[in-house]
Amino acid sequence: MLEQNPSKEDLKDADYYDIALKSMADLDPNANEDQENELKRMVSYFFEREIKRELLNDPSLIGKTKDVYLTASDDLDQVFKGNYPRDLPEDQRRVTDYQLKIFDQLVELGKVESKFNLSFFTYPDSREAELAGIASSFMGSIFSILVCLMIAFPVAVLAAIYLEEFAPKNRFTDFIEVNINNLAAVPSIVFGLLGLGILLAVFQLPRSTPLVGGITLSLMTLPTIIIACRASLKAVPPSIREAALAMGASKMQTTMHHTVPLSMPGTLSGTIIGLAQALGETAPLILIGMVAFVNTIPGSPLDPAASLPVQIYIWAESAERGFVEKVSACIMVLLGFLIIMNLFAQIIRHKFEKKWS
Amino acid sequence: MKKNGVKMIKINSKNVDVFYGKKQALFNINLDIEENQVTALIGPSGCGKSTYLRCLNRMNDVIDICRVKGQIIINDFDINDKSCDVVRLREKIGMVFQKPNPFPKTIYENISYGPTIHGMAQSKNEMDEIVETSLKKAALWEEVKDRLHEPGTGLSGGQQQRLCIARAISVKPEVILMDEPCSALDPIATAQIEELIDELKKDHTIIIVTHSMAQAARVSQNTGFFHLGELIEHGSTDKIFKNPENKKTQDYITGRFG
Repeated sequence: MLEQNPSKEDLKDADYYDIALKSMADLDPNANEDQENELKRMVSYFFEREIKRELLNDPSLIGKTKDVYLTASDDLDQVFKGNYPRDLPEDQRRVTDYQLKIFDQLVELGKVESKFNLSFFTYPDSREAELAGIASSFMGSIFSILVCLMIAFPVAVLAAIYLEEFAPKNRFTDFIEVNINNLAAVPSIVFGLLGLGILLAVFQLPRSTPLVGGITLSLMTLPTIIIACRASLKAVPPSIREAALAMGASKMQTTMHHTVPLSMPGTLSGTIIGLAQALGETAPLILIGMVAFVNTIPGSPLDPAASLPVQIYIWAESAERGFVEKVSACIMVLLGFLIIMNLFAQIIRHKFEKKWS
Repeated sequence: MKKNGVKMIKINSKNVDVFYGKKQALFNINLDIEENQVTALIGPSGCGKSTYLRCLNRMNDVIDICRVKGQIIINDFDINDKSCDVVRLREKIGMVFQKPNPFPKTIYENISYGPTIHGMAQSKNEMDEIVETSLKKAALWEEVKDRLHEPGTGLSGGQQQRLCIARAISVKPEVILMDEPCSALDPIATAQIEELIDELKKDHTIIIVTHSMAQAARVSQNTGFFHLGELIEHGSTDKIFKNPENKKTQDYITGRFG
């Protein structure tokens, strides 16, 4: 079937299913058709692609024989890790006795190995646990946070500066202040409903996208940043303002040259706290549709995506034992993400404080 | 200083009243400040001397509930008039505060801030020159010339206060207001500042609020005595300290109250 000296395109277009199936069937030469099907299901559903990749990497393999590692199905993965209930009757198991027999033979021959599954980071979500990855939700989280930061930070900082430095103290500003504090205490699911009702229903923004998620999260983050920024503006000693004013600086110059830069470390740490909160937020994202099963990797905030906490939620709901490990891994990634963010914030803070003290 | 035998009046206040909300803090103050002289304002705590000082560069504007009535005429111009540009006014009238309050920036940036916002230097060289002359005038140059780019907050208290004075004179003000500039300093630093004040009066008119009568006697040519929001007596320092007209002045100076 293969021509002599096939070009790269030919290799790409070729169908690998037969060759892949054949190599699996070779495991038991006496297998009947049903058993061959069972053999096929022992490895991941994408197994022919793995063979294809192998061949594309090294076209000279054509006509030769090479041992290739294939990703096992998630059930066999669990069998290998000893987590699978082998003592259940066969009709209650997803792995048949025949599959177990072949698998045990392979283990004995030393042909089964536990490897780190890098595809966890590069694949989007999948219904098959062994193929499910966090690429989609990770990018979704990044885009959401960026949208959230770009909206919430400037609005919140400007609002805080206005309220703290320029606004007259009267009933109206008191009213605004009370409302900001209330806003910080509103349950996040209510913000989700707002996003659903306004952003999706009225403004017809694309659903399940980080854009809508980010805007919704920014509403949540807004009061946190405003409160932090106001607190750190308040903490700037009045003597600095007086010194600048007495030098003939206008109110605006005093604020922009002295008060705001001095308040930045506090504002930034407040922003990071708000963003970390937003990063771990699930409820509002579920309502605006970021809970959808997304098996593509988003390239922009306008593409459908999930987010890390929602991904945890989706996987935790799944029945297959293989997803338990995916959930754990995803939680670790989320926590790692948070730690890196906080570290980054500390570094920025440290730099600023050095400059201004 | 006398020109043609006539004392030059720099600041002329007429019927100045100040209110904090409903409470009146200053009552009908009429005080003339002579040019290129040091005028000391003395009096017990809460007598309104700092409030009066802050009227002169309109720093009371910062306090929401504060209202100032009456006329304060500087260079034939009423600074309480609506047409007065506060930014220009504060460029002409510098201020040094009770507690040293350098900006949390470098020494150089502390001095260059005023000239920068008022556009007084066209080039880096000009700015360097302003910084150097200001620091020299404030008698701080020798101590800091090697560390101009270190934070101003790292200096000692006395040095910080001289840095604040250097900052104030960087924009070449005509008047310098000093609000108890030595109250947070030790005697040596105080002596340095007093010497400096004596030097500065050649180019600037200085008004100093002080708690220390000894300091008033040492540095000033004129003295005003405030009590409970009223200006009780003012005149040459010699006369106020040696031969006061008013009984209250006498009592305060001799230490019976305050």
